[in-house]
Amino acid sequence: MQRVNLGEFEELVLLMVAILNGNAYGISVMEEIENQTERKINISAVHSALDRLESKGFLKSEVGGATTERGGRRKRFFRVTVAGSNTLNFIREQRNKLHEQIPGFDLGLNPYVSI
Amino acid sequence: MLEIIEGDAYELFYKRIKTESVRSAKRKFWWDILRFFRLKYIKGLEDINSLNNIAMFKNYFKISVRSLLRQKFFSIINITGLSLGLAACLLIVLYISNELSYDNYHKDVNQIYRVANGQAGNWTPARLGIQSKMDFPEIEEFVRLSGPYDQTFKVGNQLFKESRGFSADSSFHRLFTVQFLEGNPDQALNAPNSIVLTNTLAKKFFPNESAYGQVVQVNGNSIKITGVVADPPKNTHFRFSFIESYPNEDWATIGNWTGNNFFTYVKLVKGASKEAVEEKYLDFAAKYVGPEMVKYSGHSSYEEYLKDGGTARAFTLKPMKDLHLYYPHMALGSSGNINNVYVFSAVAFFILIIACVNFMNLSTARSSARSKEVGMRKVLGSLRKQLIYQFLVESMLISLSALILAVLFASLSLNFFNQLANREFTISDLLALDTMIKLLVLVLVVGLLAGSYPAFYLSGFQPIKALKGEVKSAGGNAFLRKGLVAFQFAISIFLVLCTLVVFNQLQFIGKQELGLNPAQVLVIKNTDKLGEKLGAFKNQISQNPNVSSVVVTNQYLSGGISNYGYRTMEENVRANDFINLFSSDEFLETVGVQLLEGRFFSNELASDSASIVINEKAKAWLGYDEVIGKRLSRGDGEDYTIVGVVKDFNFSSLKSEIEPFIFRRMGKDGRIQGSWKAANYVLVRVIGDYQSTVKQIEGAWKNQVADEPFDFVFLEDSFHQLYEEDRRFGTLFTASSGLAIAIACLGLFALAAFTLERRLKEIAVRKVLGASVQSLTMLVLSDFTKLVFIGAILAIPVGYWVMNGWLASFAYQINLNNPLLFLAPVLLVAIIAWLTVGFQSMKTALGNPIKALRSE
Repeated sequence: MQRVNLGEFEELVLLMVAILNGNAYGISVMEEIENQTERKINISAVHSALDRLESKGFLKSEVGGATTERGGRRKRFFRVTVAGSNTLNFIREQRNKLHEQIPGFDLGLNPYVSI
Repeated sequence: MLEIIEGDAYELFYKRIKTESVRSAKRKFWWDILRFFRLKYIKGLEDINSLNNIAMFKNYFKISVRSLLRQKFFSIINITGLSLGLAACLLIVLYISNELSYDNYHKDVNQIYRVANGQAGNWTPARLGIQSKMDFPEIEEFVRLSGPYDQTFKVGNQLFKESRGFSADSSFHRLFTVQFLEGNPDQALNAPNSIVLTNTLAKKFFPNESAYGQVVQVNGNSIKITGVVADPPKNTHFRFSFIESYPNEDWATIGNWTGNNFFTYVKLVKGASKEAVEEKYLDFAAKYVGPEMVKYSGHSSYEEYLKDGGTARAFTLKPMKDLHLYYPHMALGSSGNINNVYVFSAVAFFILIIACVNFMNLSTARSSARSKEVGMRKVLGSLRKQLIYQFLVESMLISLSALILAVLFASLSLNFFNQLANREFTISDLLALDTMIKLLVLVLVVGLLAGSYPAFYLSGFQPIKALKGEVKSAGGNAFLRKGLVAFQFAISIFLVLCTLVVFNQLQFIGKQELGLNPAQVLVIKNTDKLGEKLGAFKNQISQNPNVSSVVVTNQYLSGGISNYGYRTMEENVRANDFINLFSSDEFLETVGVQLLEGRFFSNELASDSASIVINEKAKAWLGYDEVIGKRLSRGDGEDYTIVGVVKDFNFSSLKSEIEPFIFRRMGKDGRIQGSWKAANYVLVRVIGDYQSTVKQIEGAWKNQVADEPFDFVFLEDSFHQLYEEDRRFGTLFTASSGLAIAIACLGLFALAAFTLERRLKEIAVRKVLGASVQSLTMLVLSDFTKLVFIGAILAIPVGYWVMNGWLASFAYQINLNNPLLFLAPVLLVAIIAWLTVGFQSMKTALGNPIKALRSE
């Protein structure tokens, strides 16, 4: 893999979709981000990130069944594609590789920090 | 909005309600919705990016530019022709929208009406407004105006002669929209001797200080400036530079019902109908005007007067915004005319059509050359729709380029157009967003119309045939093209014909016997300002060796003379309005009018104070064999004896017939009856050198009056002025016919070039077989000549009809049944067409046939 075309926020969203494992749609992704990182974000930002990821081929989506909680309007669930999970892995490996090369005493003692 | 997005927004909202207040949840909900506004989230537009239109249009654009550049000659002619037409249209659109915008800036303009005396009488009685307001609940407010007049102001030691002055009631600002910069609008015109100035005038009088509250001198009176208002816009029928209050004298406050001295404007309450008020005015007139009128008519009551066949008095309402265009004689200083709007529109339309025809012709003419391209595109899978787009983009490109050139042309010719239209447009008016939008719409329509024929026609080709070169026979195509060219010729011939008739008529009028000799007559204005010094002034200039005679009058020839009612003193009284001029006894020799019978009255003879002199028309109306000694009455005991008859003379424009005319005596000192002075004008016949004499007379004037500038006009110029509008008409036709011919020639030139190119082989074969250059040239020429004649057949009847209508406005007309008037334009257009086509056909015919035949 040569160059991964993934922004910081996109990566975050992609990770959340992976975490949510089949239950990822606009709001659940937003809430997950808010809970895990304490960032305040707008729902429309999540949607555009999801759309972008889908057009890049990292996500696929399907429209779920109607539920009563939102006035019968359907949800669009996202899943990570093979390309998406490859990319996540690649980024992770690359990061780890780079982290390991930082010289110092506390090598490997710091927990992995998500940015 | 998409269902999924909508769902998310709602879900968030419901969740928030649980934790936050409803209000903040709602606020956040709206914020989310706003943030969601992206093109792809809107229902129905989900696929916006998947359509390839934009890329395709980029391609159309590129192809269009290439095809225009490949055919530079055609493109240049096309764009130039169209831009000339558009430039003319742009100017005319500017003119028309300006004309239609008159007075629209007034608040509630639709409720404001001008009261006309009878059907269209300008002047109304003094008490009409106030009485109407008292009697009719429909009338909310009224204002009386007089003007426009010129007035001389003395500010400190400086004299200013200012025009466009009006007098008005204090309710002025409640009808008209005026913006007071200084002063209280409600109190500005309450007291006599108050004046409101426009900002420009205030700055002129008092450049360094505020004009408000200052005092200026007018005719020896002190007048206080009680307000300064913003200059009124140019597009008003009533463009004032100052407004004075009315004095509290009885002529202004009471007046009488038969004396019409004011313009009255009324504002109706919202929803009131003009017809209802007009209906009520019938009884109103009977109640107030009737009784006073019968005093003069000699009937015992108004009813009897009506029974006797008298016309009922009435007042009608004219919407204020119609005054400029539909009732120009009632407009206070603006010179509009709905006919001008029609004529200008027609001219613009014609020129645009000629330009469009060029456009269409050239596009269709090139169609066969492009048929291969169309065939190839179709073979490669182009849809018909896409081809149509391709051609429309191309024609839009041409018309948009023409638009840019057109704005340039229009800016360059703005000054000339201002003269033509008698308006003061500036470049910024021209480039105003409003005008530009109109022009853009026009251009798009032209592009679409002119482009649609080739677009639909070309895109319909069958690819196989198109590629084989068998374009669907050019028959229908050529017929249309020829028809369009013939139509262009028709318009050109029509415009040339109009030009010719207008100029002939103007020349004819210039040569008409007027019955008087206006050359060398000087009219000195405002001589009433001389007052008692008139006699001295008159003596002084009479002694000048370069002056042959001097006459004092109350009005002057060519300047509009009022009429007075007179009636005969016989058993069956007949009444008529006569043009009535007060004059001293030197009139005939000064103005050069011939005496036919009797004598002119004399200043010396005391008994001549009731003597009158009439013209031939008046004599004819009276119908007496022996008219000298007969008497006419003005009613209420004023009787006049006819002492002489003069030959008919034109005292106004030759558009009107000579009317019955009466001279009344004015004393040497300018008094006409008792103490009333009316010596407004002094006419001087000059026999020597003009310029030095005028200087000497001006010197004499300055000796007598200090605070009034010397103002004069030459009678001949003043008569000349009467046909200003018609000369403008002539210039308009010259310019437009020139433009039309130029555009048509451009088109013809390109078309001829194209036709010759296509017939190159035919001509070469003919030449090889022995045809002469001459016969070959004639071959091509005869084609186009036929078209000129078809055009002539169309144009001549229309031209005859239109010009007959125009001539009807003149009492003295040229004979329109002169074949030369019609042959000359046809010949002119034919010659121009021959020159345009002939040159090229000669060139082709002279060319070496080998060159044409060699390549296959």
